[in-house]
Amino acid sequence: MTRNKKWIAIFLLPGVALFAYIFLASLLVLITTSFTDWTIAGKLSFIGIKNYVDLFTADKGYLTALKNTIVWIFLQSTIHVLFGTMVALILAKKHWYSNAMRTVFFIPNIISSAALGMLFLCILNPQFGLINNLIKKINGDFNVNWFMDPKTAFLSVTLTWLPYAGLVTILVISEMSSISDEIIEAAKVDGATPLQADLYIVLPLMRNIIGTSTVLAATSMLQKLDIIMMTTSGGPGVRTMNMPMYLYQTVFSNNNFGLANAQGVLLILLGVLSLVIIRKLYRMDDED
Amino acid sequence: MKRKTERVLAALMAATMLAGCGATSKTEKTEEIPAEAQETALSDSADESSDGPVEISYATFMVGSHASAEAETEVINAFNEQYEGKIKVVVEELPSDDAYVDKMKVLAASKSLPDVLIGKNGIRELAIENGQATDIKPYLDEDAEWMKYVGEGAASYNTTEDGKIYSISNQRQLIGYFYNKEMFDAVGITPAKTWDEFMENNKKLKDAGYTPLSLMTGENCWTTNLLLGAYVGTDGDEGNKFMNTFYPESYNTDSMVNGLEMIKTCLTDYSTPDAVGAIYANAANSFEQGQTAMIPNGPWMCPDFTDETKSLPGFGDKVGVALYPGDGLFTQYEVGYILCTEGKSDAEKAAALEFLKFKTGAYAQSVFLEKAGVLPLTENVALSDEYKAANPLLVDLIEQSANAKYTFGNFDNQAYSSVMDEFAVSYPELVYGEISAADMAQNLTDAIAKNK
Repeated sequence: MTRNKKWIAIFLLPGVALFAYIFLASLLVLITTSFTDWTIAGKLSFIGIKNYVDLFTADKGYLTALKNTIVWIFLQSTIHVLFGTMVALILAKKHWYSNAMRTVFFIPNIISSAALGMLFLCILNPQFGLINNLIKKINGDFNVNWFMDPKTAFLSVTLTWLPYAGLVTILVISEMSSISDEIIEAAKVDGATPLQADLYIVLPLMRNIIGTSTVLAATSMLQKLDIIMMTTSGGPGVRTMNMPMYLYQTVFSNNNFGLANAQGVLLILLGVLSLVIIRKLYRMDDED
Repeated sequence: MKRKTERVLAALMAATMLAGCGATSKTEKTEEIPAEAQETALSDSADESSDGPVEISYATFMVGSHASAEAETEVINAFNEQYEGKIKVVVEELPSDDAYVDKMKVLAASKSLPDVLIGKNGIRELAIENGQATDIKPYLDEDAEWMKYVGEGAASYNTTEDGKIYSISNQRQLIGYFYNKEMFDAVGITPAKTWDEFMENNKKLKDAGYTPLSLMTGENCWTTNLLLGAYVGTDGDEGNKFMNTFYPESYNTDSMVNGLEMIKTCLTDYSTPDAVGAIYANAANSFEQGQTAMIPNGPWMCPDFTDETKSLPGFGDKVGVALYPGDGLFTQYEVGYILCTEGKSDAEKAAALEFLKFKTGAYAQSVFLEKAGVLPLTENVALSDEYKAANPLLVDLIEQSANAKYTFGNFDNQAYSSVMDEFAVSYPELVYGEISAADMAQNLTDAIAKNK
């Protein structure tokens, strides 16, 4: 046993060392420098919590970015996961189209975000875009600049990721295949309709994987940068600004590393908070 | 306690940066080397070192489909060939202007900028601030042949208040606007002499079924901001002074507000439906495909007009070039190349300087003129008759430039990055009536404070 422990420690050591070197050290630097005034070429000076105070009191743009990020986390954790799960329940029934649909539904997840952004820019282009031209054919004169009109920008950006729940579908379908047919058969014998079997037997058994999918969906919103950069750059004004985009601009446009690192710390905290809430809601730590 | 905290933080930062960036710069501090010693330093280094030629690093965004990619490759290859065995340029290619600027800013933070690079979008200022940039003036003063091709204009453009020169321009810019002669003839108009006439022309073109302007507010709002800059730059002495000011402290001026009002009208009534949010490619494509009548842009666009993969067949013959209303013209030098060799060895300094001279010398300027339509810094690099015959638009613009009453710089070179970002997100709000022109001017002014 002691010998085993020694080997376990030896095998774990490279991983732990790498983690400490790459993540822990970076995290430490991130946190400590968030309390400094640090510009790209300037000297570092300690300023206490001023960066954090400024973000919440003197920066309306950041508050909008924070609000938008929270809204997108909520939408992704609910509508996106719900949609993915519903598609999984339909496709798991093994219809003639199930395999083909599963592949088609997953396609947006294998396209890079930047390419997807470009695709949506073309589809929603007010001059030659598919959507506007389709509506023009039906309705005659129609001209909406989907990404740039303040009334439609938020919705347009949201629709570039909200419906594409292929990953959720794949995860849920995989988990469903582990449910014994006997359980479903027993429910049918007891008179359960297919909908009742899904609602009262399948879904409760899927709790953990749906919880995991929700975590993945929610945290993906903390990384959304490329699509926003490709489509709106956070505009009009700050209507589609999120925390990663704001952080990016703080570093590369404003050259303010200290303030950007404070935003980085808050981004991590929001991630941790989302994780804790989702785990609590789905009782992911509880035994069934 | 505070000092202690600072030291701990500084030590942490230093350790992480050293480990993370893996910079290989030598820390040997040397004095400036006189011109006559440079060749010696180079040849000594090549003779004594068994490691081969002196390697210098160079970063570029002129790669791939960039208009100057072919010229860039030719110049670098020619240098490596000429200095084979003595100097080798190790090129880092960045796929776009944005990627280049972002990467260089990160490298500036860790004091590991390449030996030679273009210092645009504030990179030069960062290199000066972090101590990597070398004052090039002494070398320029010592080398009359080099100075002949750099010219007084470019040298004084890049001279700082304390008399130092930290960059050598890579090009001179003359930017007017191109127009579709066929459309102008059909409507019976000529390039406008005043801004009122300009707007009347727009109306006539629109009434005749043409879209007057190729504008765009995505990326750096290039064509839209050229029009705005031209309006402000020709709006009396005040406006002209503003457009010749680097990093202005406020955008709350009458010229700016009036200019933004005009731009709002142009974007709303006289441009393509996708102008708000469009990128440069959309605007250029609209003009080159004969869908719009005018596009503000520089002469580097000229080769596209005869390129049938980009423009309609025979389109080159339909294009004219004009000064902006009020006889205004963007005339300025680019920031150009900086030398980041402070703290490097004599051999590396000499090699990097040699490369800088080559990149800004007569040969490189000729190649960039022929292959990329980039105007040379001085008239000492002459335009051949053959070139003039093949590029009548450029010749026309050069001739018209003599009649320019107002000359000025553009926002891209003179505004902070944070202000440029603000332009892109404020234009849609302006066009859709969420903010007024005065509000937008205030937003731009507020964005100045964000820049560090």
